[in-house]
Amino acid sequence: MRSLLRAWLPVSAALLGSNPASAIETARASTISDVAVTIYRAPYAQPNSLDLNGLGGFALVTETRTVSIPQGESLIRFEGVADGIEPQSAIITGLPEGVLEKNHDAHVLSPAALVTATLGRQVWLLRTNRKTGKATRVSGTLVADNDGVLFKSAEGIEALRCSGLPETFRFESATGVNATPTLSALVRSPTPMTVKVRLSYLAQGFDWQATYSAILSPDSKTMDLGAWVTLANGNGVSFNDAHTQVVAGRLNRTTAEVEPVEESPEIVAGCWPRGTTSDIPPVVAPNELQEAVMVTAMRKDAAPAPMMARASFEAKAVGNLVQEEQLGDLKLYRVPERTSVTSRQIKQVRLLDRTNIPVELIYTADITPNVYNETQPLNKILRTRNDEAHHLGLPLPSGRVSAFYEHDGVPLVVSEAPLRDTAVKEEVEINAGESPDVQVTTVIERIQVDPAPKELPLIPGVVNVRSSDLQNLNRIEITNARPTAVTVELPLHLPDGTNVVRADHIPKTRNGLPTFRLTVPAQGSATILFQTARSTYTPVRPR
Amino acid sequence: MSNTQRSPALATLIAAALAASSVQTETAHAADQDLAVTIYTDNLALVQDHRSIDLTGGKQRIEFENVSAQIRPETVSLAARDLSIVEQNFDYDLLSPEKLMEKAVGHTVTIIRTNPGTGAETRETAQVLATNGGVVLKIGDHIEVLRDDGLPARVIFDKVPDNLRARPTLSVTVNGAHRGSEPATLSYLTPGLGWRADYVALFDEASAKIDVQGWVTLSNSSGITYDNAKTLLVAGNPNVTGNTNNPGPRYYRPQPRANLAQAGTESGTRERLGDYYLYPLAERTTIANLQTKQVSFLDVRGVPAEHGYEFRNSWMATSNTPLSAQVVYRFSTSAHAGLGDQLPAGTLRFYMRDKRGDPQFIGESHIDHTPMGSVLSLSTGDAFDVKVQPTVEKRTRLGFAHWQTDMKYVLTNALPKAVTVSVLQGGLWGDTSIKAESQKSTRRNADEAEWSVEVPANGTRTLTASFESQF
Repeated sequence: MRSLLRAWLPVSAALLGSNPASAIETARASTISDVAVTIYRAPYAQPNSLDLNGLGGFALVTETRTVSIPQGESLIRFEGVADGIEPQSAIITGLPEGVLEKNHDAHVLSPAALVTATLGRQVWLLRTNRKTGKATRVSGTLVADNDGVLFKSAEGIEALRCSGLPETFRFESATGVNATPTLSALVRSPTPMTVKVRLSYLAQGFDWQATYSAILSPDSKTMDLGAWVTLANGNGVSFNDAHTQVVAGRLNRTTAEVEPVEESPEIVAGCWPRGTTSDIPPVVAPNELQEAVMVTAMRKDAAPAPMMARASFEAKAVGNLVQEEQLGDLKLYRVPERTSVTSRQIKQVRLLDRTNIPVELIYTADITPNVYNETQPLNKILRTRNDEAHHLGLPLPSGRVSAFYEHDGVPLVVSEAPLRDTAVKEEVEINAGESPDVQVTTVIERIQVDPAPKELPLIPGVVNVRSSDLQNLNRIEITNARPTAVTVELPLHLPDGTNVVRADHIPKTRNGLPTFRLTVPAQGSATILFQTARSTYTPVRPR
Repeated sequence: MSNTQRSPALATLIAAALAASSVQTETAHAADQDLAVTIYTDNLALVQDHRSIDLTGGKQRIEFENVSAQIRPETVSLAARDLSIVEQNFDYDLLSPEKLMEKAVGHTVTIIRTNPGTGAETRETAQVLATNGGVVLKIGDHIEVLRDDGLPARVIFDKVPDNLRARPTLSVTVNGAHRGSEPATLSYLTPGLGWRADYVALFDEASAKIDVQGWVTLSNSSGITYDNAKTLLVAGNPNVTGNTNNPGPRYYRPQPRANLAQAGTESGTRERLGDYYLYPLAERTTIANLQTKQVSFLDVRGVPAEHGYEFRNSWMATSNTPLSAQVVYRFSTSAHAGLGDQLPAGTLRFYMRDKRGDPQFIGESHIDHTPMGSVLSLSTGDAFDVKVQPTVEKRTRLGFAHWQTDMKYVLTNALPKAVTVSVLQGGLWGDTSIKAESQKSTRRNADEAEWSVEVPANGTRTLTASFESQF
């Protein structure tokens, strides 16, 4: 059934034109003469690859069309809007007296919509004789389409596709179902006129992301940072020669609900129970299609997404960069030249190219004192600051960073990590993966017994109050098998009310956590000893 | 077996058996239908359907075609002169091939077989014996299973049984006092029809003003089209039983961000019904099935609006990265320097012009039914350039259930202009007090303290506060 219906769909689509229901004059807006597309990211999406079938972002589409409005009331049809349109967001400007009402019909041409729209109306049943190839046409009406289609002709009532004969319907041309997603506006004009109308609306099924590639120098002291804006249109509608923008920053969406835009209801060509006397599957006539076929409109069944051009290693210094501008509290990036945002396409435009960015390579691990921790490899972080001094100083929209080293001119991926929205002057940290060469172990050196050992120096500024319980002596061991010295940062995660009181290295507070920072020599090791104290309170025993 | 051999006696029997009842059935056609629809914001509508019915003067059944597929049958009432209702039925026994075959058990159908070799057709009459798993037929004096051999065989039924319907059908059995055509009003409640408001707000940063347009958005998924209906929209949520939204026991929960900063006390000129506002559509309109329709109801220009930033931190929340402040727009719905109208619940979408002058979308916010004279404070999203990094610097136990918490908030501004950020620290319940702070706070309520912090252009400010609490 699917292939049959599919075969004649394009023909029927051409016949289906205007909405016959209203007596009001209908004016069809011209095709799009100018279009702008601004793509917004999915508000809380993880920076994964863009999947054309599940794009969580959206776009603001602004189209300019020409329309000839007759005198009096008329319905202006904007055909070929994006299928993901949120009709409640539509804004139409440029019409003479304003808009009386705006309409959007979710009924879009599909086999099921066609059958439902024709219910109770005349259709032709076309039955082909397999042997002779002769087709017979029987006129009748559609009686029901619940779990199967029933048809009434002069002969009586029959169910479609239960006989095993090739059967299909031929519909009359005007069914009132739109062939393409259509928005219409009811307007009133004192005189006939031709005007340029601007229609803008939000539509789902778009998304974009920033994909960065950081190429590290062999000594890990500098990096080159390049980035692509990767944008995608999962809609069935293309926007040719469009002014294209993307917006960075997270903005609120309340519902982000879309009206049931062609929910692709299914026609189930169900029949009566069809058990036979044998377990052997019945012999199916060569052309007899599998029955009880589900016919869906399959809006998103087009070719699978093309392999996304990976934000991998690329020749440095690529031509046109997007132009950044401030949009309220968001960042707008303009694609410098008009481009076509084609249906079901992923496109990349260059976001930035910066070279020789000084970075600090830091080895880090989160330490939980007073428990035995297994030996663990340290995590590498590339730290820099987003300012002119570090050859940056431009907003960095959130996205994914791939870090590379070059080896004999061939890039080697070190890690992939997310990057948050980073404003100018903010610190940038890029996770560069684990290093098995640098390991850390935390152990309890000695269980605390009173009185507290005093071999470790008291940390300056710490008041060792009497109500504090000095706890176990902790030892952190860091080993470095690398041929170079490494900088290590170890933030301590302490329970509420617990502080580091004695230590042979002085921790500094970083992001609210006491953090040891030290250099571990090449092929060497380092040890940190420290003691924490918990503030306690012993209630006074009543006499 | 020869073609079209049918026993007349049997056919009569079938006809009698298939007739649903002995009561005469009339169909109330929708030809002269006159509709009035009252739509509530909560996916509920009252449909008043005026049409004429033909009375036979006695007990009869009237079927109504073209009523909402989602009709709540218990709310149906039919009013006409000299008419008493015997019973109302809403039949869901839907016509499908399987049901048709089931109802044909014991009756005859016509079978047309096509010879796969020659393409020739033969016609037989068969009696349906059973439809359990497969269709068992009695043809002449032998029994066979329908299409057991997989060869094509058409089954033709004489008629559709009366009680099988293409769509759920409302029928009312009435007792009419006289004979003839009578105007009647059928009214019922149905979900599937609803409306909400959609607002378009264009913010101009230079003049700090917004233009606001309001649209009523009607949507219809009730299954039928309401042609040329007189439409009235009611703003307000009527209490519908079974819809209680009980949030469960109220333990401590952080307050959600309130959009309504100040509830208004002004009365507008809009029509009211009880405590609801009415928005009648000026002209009759057709609400098609699966259609979204928008009609304008508000267009105000040049209303002053403030643009600010807000950052809300929950108790003891520490972040190792700076977090974006919320972008907030505040404006009034007062008749003086405001929108000058009450606003039905809906979504307000903010736009702003880019450097080229094209409006771009910058975020949206939900609003509840808002009385006139209110102050709305709506968030559109995160600020890219204005951030706050909150950290718990120190926790000190001062005694039994007595703690001191030192907080630090680092505010950064990458914009080329100074901004004011409202920093809110929540979770201060109990008798939590502020012992020391780097600038004066205002206690908005027991739970929240607020600091209004000026951050210079491309600059940083640090706010510190130390709290004394029992936890």
